[in-house]
Amino acid sequence: MLLQLQNIFKWVNSGGQRIFLLKDINLKVKEGEFISIMGPSGSGKSTFLNVIGMLDGFDEGSYDFLDESVHQLKEKHRAKLYKEYIGFVFQQYHLLDDLTVQENLEMPLLYKKLKGAERKAMVADMLDRFNIVGKKDLFPAQLSGGQQQLVGIARALISSPKLLLADEPTGNLNSKQGEEIMELFKQLNEEGVTIIQVTHSEKNAAYGKRIINLLDGRMI
Amino acid sequence: MFKNHIKIAWRSLKKQPFFTFLNVFGLAIGIAGCLLITLYIHDELSFDTMFADADRIHRVNVDVKFGGEDRRFAVVNAPLAEALENDFSEVELTTRFRTGGSVLLKTTGTEINVKEQQSTFVDSTFLKMFGIRLLAGDINSALKEPNTMLLTKTAAEKHYGIQEAVGKTFELNNTQTFTVTGVVEDMPKNSFLRDHTVFMAMSGFEDSRIVNWGSNNYQTFFKVIPSANVDAMQEPLKGFLGKYVIPGIQQYMPGITEEQFIASGNHLIYTSMPLTDIHLKSDRAAEISPNNNIQSIYILSFIAVFLLVLACVNFMNLSTAHSLKRAKEVGVRKTLGSNKIDLIRQFLVESGLVSFGALLLAIFLAILALPFFNDLADKDISMPYSNPLFWIILLAAGLVLGLFSGSYPAFFMSKFIPVKVLKGSNSNSLGGSKVRNGLVIFQFAISVFLIIGTLVVYQQLKYIQNKDLGFSKDQVLIVNDVYTLGDKSGPFKEEVKKLSYVENATISSFLPTPSARGDSTFAPEDGLTDQERAISMQVWRVDHDYVGTMDFELIAGRGFDRRFLNDSTSIIVNESAIATMGLSPEEVIGKRYTPDFGEEDPEMLTVIGVVKDFHFSPFRNDIEALCMRLGDLYAESMAVKLHTSEFQVAIADVENIWSQMAPGQPFDYYFMEDSFNDTYRSEQRLGSIFFIFTTLSILIACLGLFGLAAFNAEKRTKEIGVRKVLGATVGQITFRLSADFLKLVGIAILISLPIGWYAMNKWLEDFSYRIEVKWWVLVLAAIVAVVISLLTVSYQSIKAAIVNPVKSLRTE
Ligand SMILES: Nc1ncnc2c1ncn2[C@@H]1O[C@H](COP(=O)(O)OP(=O)(O)O)[C@@H](O)[C@H]1O
Ligand SMILES: [Mg+2]
Repeated sequence: MLLQLQNIFKWVNSGGQRIFLLKDINLKVKEGEFISIMGPSGSGKSTFLNVIGMLDGFDEGSYDFLDESVHQLKEKHRAKLYKEYIGFVFQQYHLLDDLTVQENLEMPLLYKKLKGAERKAMVADMLDRFNIVGKKDLFPAQLSGGQQQLVGIARALISSPKLLLADEPTGNLNSKQGEEIMELFKQLNEEGVTIIQVTHSEKNAAYGKRIINLLDGRMI
Repeated sequence: MFKNHIKIAWRSLKKQPFFTFLNVFGLAIGIAGCLLITLYIHDELSFDTMFADADRIHRVNVDVKFGGEDRRFAVVNAPLAEALENDFSEVELTTRFRTGGSVLLKTTGTEINVKEQQSTFVDSTFLKMFGIRLLAGDINSALKEPNTMLLTKTAAEKHYGIQEAVGKTFELNNTQTFTVTGVVEDMPKNSFLRDHTVFMAMSGFEDSRIVNWGSNNYQTFFKVIPSANVDAMQEPLKGFLGKYVIPGIQQYMPGITEEQFIASGNHLIYTSMPLTDIHLKSDRAAEISPNNNIQSIYILSFIAVFLLVLACVNFMNLSTAHSLKRAKEVGVRKTLGSNKIDLIRQFLVESGLVSFGALLLAIFLAILALPFFNDLADKDISMPYSNPLFWIILLAAGLVLGLFSGSYPAFFMSKFIPVKVLKGSNSNSLGGSKVRNGLVIFQFAISVFLIIGTLVVYQQLKYIQNKDLGFSKDQVLIVNDVYTLGDKSGPFKEEVKKLSYVENATISSFLPTPSARGDSTFAPEDGLTDQERAISMQVWRVDHDYVGTMDFELIAGRGFDRRFLNDSTSIIVNESAIATMGLSPEEVIGKRYTPDFGEEDPEMLTVIGVVKDFHFSPFRNDIEALCMRLGDLYAESMAVKLHTSEFQVAIADVENIWSQMAPGQPFDYYFMEDSFNDTYRSEQRLGSIFFIFTTLSILIACLGLFGLAAFNAEKRTKEIGVRKVLGATVGQITFRLSADFLKLVGIAILISLPIGWYAMNKWLEDFSYRIEVKWWVLVLAAIVAVVISLLTVSYQSIKAAIVNPVKSLRTE
């Protein structure tokens, strides 16, 4: 079992009222799964994904990641989990503007304290695999949206995570670019990466092996 | 990792050149100012430390209260030095100085005199005491024989080469012959002997060998053995009163005991102070060279620290504000596995780079500013480039500064929560704005305080300059060394008075501006031995034209008059004198007093006039009792009251008359007004320093505010766009954006007004004659702060407000 959420509730207090963002979420994810989360805007998809990615906390319930209780983890420990097991892909790509493509890819490896030569080799592999060798010295602003997202995914994958979390990875891309990304996901999944993606589009959701529907913070 | 930190830091600094510039520049100004002040303070603290064994050398002081007057001297009587050597086993050596003032030097057999500004008689122990090396001459015999002297290198080279000078004879003041027995290096600039060029053997000075415990004229230094406890010497030193001084007084007042002396309200207390304390902690009558005040060192240290703190605060504020723009970066890094420590390190590297750049710029700025600073502070400071300690301290300071000012922004940023910042939350919700506001308030509070300080110092100086002095200092030319004319001084004065634009002229050693001073104890005719009624008065020897030339106002009686032959035993007193006597101006006329207190057959002097008090000592002090009487054969100077603005013509004419009557004598003159202004140099210096560093601190605060305003406007670009679309005018938006900052400045003003008011009143307490801190000074300081900050902020606000909303809304 990769991760397991049980009876997760998350709320915010507003004007003396408790507003639920997540209600009674139960989810088991095994390694190798490809899950798509769907639902209308504001239904809590991003919140859900953030909780899974440990970027956000929850108020009730239990969450185990690789049989460790996330609830008790300190920030330092969580950073270790990101480094080891989780890769994030964002709708807005969130590349570091000051760094070149190559340097963006290198960043997670730096945090893993890998040696320079080792880092170089891995970055070169990734550039090769994503076919962006020619772009390695460009800055994000010099790339198209699709290319930026490609770099974003490459960066998420470079430390060989067990789990890839993607929040509307194709939301800012045109349909052809989106399709390419989905094909890539499918291929990655076949290679053994567990993927959880949030998406609006039925077509993209269909790439997943399992679809979860959210409405008002509840799984339906 | 470190290399990576530097690379990223460099790029992110380069990407925001404006912020980087504000940061580096603000910090550099602070460091440069602090550096200059530190060099100045270091120089002041180093006074007299260059002498070998400086830490074992001490000077004897005496506090005397006699005849109602309380005085503190840096000089003691002649026999005390020997008593020190006899009574204290720990005293190794003593040296006395007896000032000789300025002297005229002339190679025997020639006519041309050269003036040396400061000369002194010294004991032969002088060289050994201060570890001074001879450049030429024999150390064992130098200064031993009467009528021998040492010259400094500069003084000697005006006449001979250093080696040739030894053995040559000179005429001093046209009267005495001295032989040069040695040449010494010029006295260090930061020593108490800095202006001295001529050292004459004490053995030829008759007075120094007379055992007279009554008059204080000798600066007396002693050197103790290394193990000595100088504190333990203070009690026996006080005992000198009973042991030596009272027996001396008994010659005049037979039978008087120490107890009676004390019981009549008198005292005479000997103390000693370390040589190295003299420059900053001694403010006594008859100092060898003018001293500085430790208070000004405190004020400067205070300013230096605040400059630096202001600059750091600025840095923190700008970086924190700027960091909000980098929130996304922090969020992404965290999701990529960076932990807090990594992030903190990254940002510290960045602030380290900034502070290092600032350090370089600061050194550059300081080098540029040093000549002006030296001018302002009347110093000769240079950058100690060759001193490794200087560089080490500088580097360490840069490092500490970088860490200190980088720490808050770094911790602040590393706390960002990824979900929030990645969602692009409003940067207000990231916090830190309270701290930022607090820092702005802090900066402006200090600036307002400094503005108040500058205004008050300036006003006090203005007050001093315009105050009715009770005499006329303007257009008065002073000719020095009139005594060299001998009996031609009278004719000289008459010749000068014949010049059409000369209103009056007078010859005297005593001037209302710094000049000779001397006082005596007077007894009234009907109480010749009554200690309680004895009064101490300054006695000024003047001539018939004195009162007229100085423009004193007579409030009773008359001035000296050639028609009254017995005016030689007449005196004119000032208001302070009759206040001490307890008489009214009318009552005092005709009363008789004697300066020969306690002596047989005293000379009686009759009061013929009373002048309004005039300020003959600095406004820091009260006006002392004073009397003037006729006669002084060897008067030092002539004061000429001019009625012309053509000073150059007047000087040329007077010099012409001088050189006809005194061929070969240097013509030395100055204007009374300049001498008067010199008296307030330290206040003026304080005023200028206050002004400059206030300007700097305001500049730094404004840089910070400017940056914050820019950031604020940028942050609110979208809001501004929306507001404009909804119909807000440029004026309304500018006001909205500026109002937030003005509120902070307002709070700063409220904090600093009472503090400024209190502190400046404290400073003014040092002056006997002073202004009050007026309410409008506080209002003015507040207005200045508001206007400056408004100008700073509104530029950014207006710039943001006039942007086309279509453009600003697109930036999303
Ligand atoms: N910190 C928060 N405070 C208040 N409401 C929030 C917060 N985070 C999310 N929400 C609300 O919770 C709901 C779910 O948001 P989100 O998970 O972003 O939806 P989705 O990604 O499905 O569009 C939205 O209505 C959003 O406004
Ligand atoms: Mg969402």
